[in-house]
Amino acid sequence: MAFIKLNDLEIEVEDGTNIVEAAKQHGIEVPHYCYHPGLSRPANCRMCLIETYAPPPGAPPGTPAVPGRQLATGCTTSVRSAPPERKLDEKYDAIVQTDSPRVIKAREDILEFLLVHHPLDCPVCDQAGECDLQDFSYRHGHDKSRYIEVKNVPPKKDLGPDVLLYSTRCIVCTRCIRFCDEVSGSGELGLINRGSHDEIDIPRSHEGTPIQLLDNKLAGNVVDICPVGALISKDFLFKSRPWFMEKANSICSGCSVGCNVTVEYKTDGLYRIKPRFHADINQHWMCDDGRLGYHYVNSDDRLQLPLKKIGGEQTTTQWSDALTLITEKLSEVEADDIVVIGSAQGTNEDNYVLQQFAHDVLKTTQLGLFGQQPGEEHKFPQFTIEADKNPNTAGARTILGSANGNVVLEGDTLWEKVAGAKVVYLVSGVPDRALEDTEREALEKVEFLIVQDVLPSEVTELADVVLPGTTFAEKDGTFTNSTGWVQRIRKAIDPPGEAQVDWEITQQLAKQLDGEIDYHFAGEIANAIAENVEGYGDATHQNIGNTGIKLA
Amino acid sequence: MSDEIVQIETPFQFNEENKQVFDELIGRYPVKEAAMLPTLHLAQRQEGYITPAVMRYVAELLEVTVMKVKDVVTFYPMFFEEPVGEYVIRICQTLPCALRDCKVVLDHLKTKLGTDVASETDLAKGTTDDGKFTLMKVECLASCDVAPVIMVNDDLYKNLTPEKVDKILEQLPN
Repeated sequence: MAFIKLNDLEIEVEDGTNIVEAAKQHGIEVPHYCYHPGLSRPANCRMCLIETYAPPPGAPPGTPAVPGRQLATGCTTSVRSAPPERKLDEKYDAIVQTDSPRVIKAREDILEFLLVHHPLDCPVCDQAGECDLQDFSYRHGHDKSRYIEVKNVPPKKDLGPDVLLYSTRCIVCTRCIRFCDEVSGSGELGLINRGSHDEIDIPRSHEGTPIQLLDNKLAGNVVDICPVGALISKDFLFKSRPWFMEKANSICSGCSVGCNVTVEYKTDGLYRIKPRFHADINQHWMCDDGRLGYHYVNSDDRLQLPLKKIGGEQTTTQWSDALTLITEKLSEVEADDIVVIGSAQGTNEDNYVLQQFAHDVLKTTQLGLFGQQPGEEHKFPQFTIEADKNPNTAGARTILGSANGNVVLEGDTLWEKVAGAKVVYLVSGVPDRALEDTEREALEKVEFLIVQDVLPSEVTELADVVLPGTTFAEKDGTFTNSTGWVQRIRKAIDPPGEAQVDWEITQQLAKQLDGEIDYHFAGEIANAIAENVEGYGDATHQNIGNTGIKLA
Repeated sequence: MSDEIVQIETPFQFNEENKQVFDELIGRYPVKEAAMLPTLHLAQRQEGYITPAVMRYVAELLEVTVMKVKDVVTFYPMFFEEPVGEYVIRICQTLPCALRDCKVVLDHLKTKLGTDVASETDLAKGTTDDGKFTLMKVECLASCDVAPVIMVNDDLYKNLTPEKVDKILEQLPN
């Protein structure tokens, strides 16, 4: 540990911590643009200048430290514990000022330079409200510019499928270039021209036709890390002012990595998904499949009312009618003729209530697992997108099998059982699930098929009763990722129409059949899981908290 | 977004002679990327200017991304991304040459060649219709003691007057 004096504070930080981070840990802001904790540090924006102290050159030991001749960049100045004879003022490993008059003057001057060619078009800029240039100008900048020359007006550029570049707003911090070089390893971005004509761009011919597009699966991250409004997501462009959106901390449901995300929403739906830092899972990043994969939640096609099949046609009905129809059917058949299928898209809580329902109420041991078909794995130097496109395969598998000797039907064995069953209760929740031939044939043979889903699909088409369930954005619960992290998703928006949270639907079915399942909120179920499911002992509602918990 | 991407129909590659030069060249540097400038000069000498095909070829040779090559090409004004004349005439316009009447030399060249001066973004403006000459202004050519000066391709000409310019242009091989 290094013991440092930061302004008037005496603080201890880990060896190797840079001053920007050290200050942040103690609530002091050192403004910066080019520095990003997940990238290399070129120290080119000069915004994080600080004053460091050292003994005067050639002074005898014990002379008090004085401010250095030049200011240093906080991002590249790291501190570590020094041997006794090199301590400053006999006790500090470093003495640093982040708010001395020199530092404040330097920041003002740097900001004036950064704004020289900036168009100051905040009223029409997507970034306004979450812009470092805006915020730091407000806190550290001048109120007027002395620049009277003509500003450079480089063109707006289309970089790839989801990213636009408003070159005029760019301050050339090069975060995006370093991201493409270091994290995605694809190197599509670079600087063209020189000096004050520097522009970020993809390689193009002289006429401006792209030679290569910014179309890697992590490209959306450059929009997040852009400290100004230069890189903009086409998906979010002009959709909403950031301050009008609410935020919920959640987990991406796109694959089994379990990236921590912030879901941003208004009452009429989701607006965007951004990655949230998690040191052990996704760092600062997420992939574009997850980032842009939320649109199905807002879809007008969402199932809003239960459906029942009359004479081959599905028509809407009331919940009471649908539930009665199902419970009547379930009580007619033997337990052996029932197959209950949980979903790898569902939460641990959904699956726990479902397996309780199967076991305690229906008395069947035939539990299966359904989910999105596997996709492709994508590996990047500092990120992996997994092939399993379900967020909770690990959790669903363990929990569905928890009271069943860990037997969960999957793949061909599942579809064989389905083909021979009279009643199948399939909880899907998988958007755009296409059925393979064996799956379709098996489901077609079922006498009475109950499907709980969020969108009409090939699966719901075959159902005798369809129950409208909820997506990850409309419920609380937990997902277990492929490396055993149990993490919480949070309700952002209300389910559409009369759609209900999946475990609540199952619980209502159980109640109609006189089952004793009575939970009131997801955390209660998480505690029941912790109590009853092997390996989940520590994963209580309290323990999971904000950062999640890794199963032993 | 336009889905149009540059399609490289005829890939560029070094001819036999330049291949040998490149092989000799690459051995001088600890990392391949360091050979970027001489490799680009070599390619420009062969192709006349840097096309997307050249950038892709150089990127592959040096094991870097195409963007790294584009980055370097746009940084240095000695690399051209559009066709230039057979002879590129660079005329110094910095202070010592200006004091020694480079404007007279420039005006003479403009009349003689019948062309305007190229700008960095528009080389065609300074290129003669027959594609023989490109006239461009440059910053200091590091020969202030013999101002005014011009460079024709790789050769420097000193202490110029309109008469000397005429002689220089006459003795250029066709």
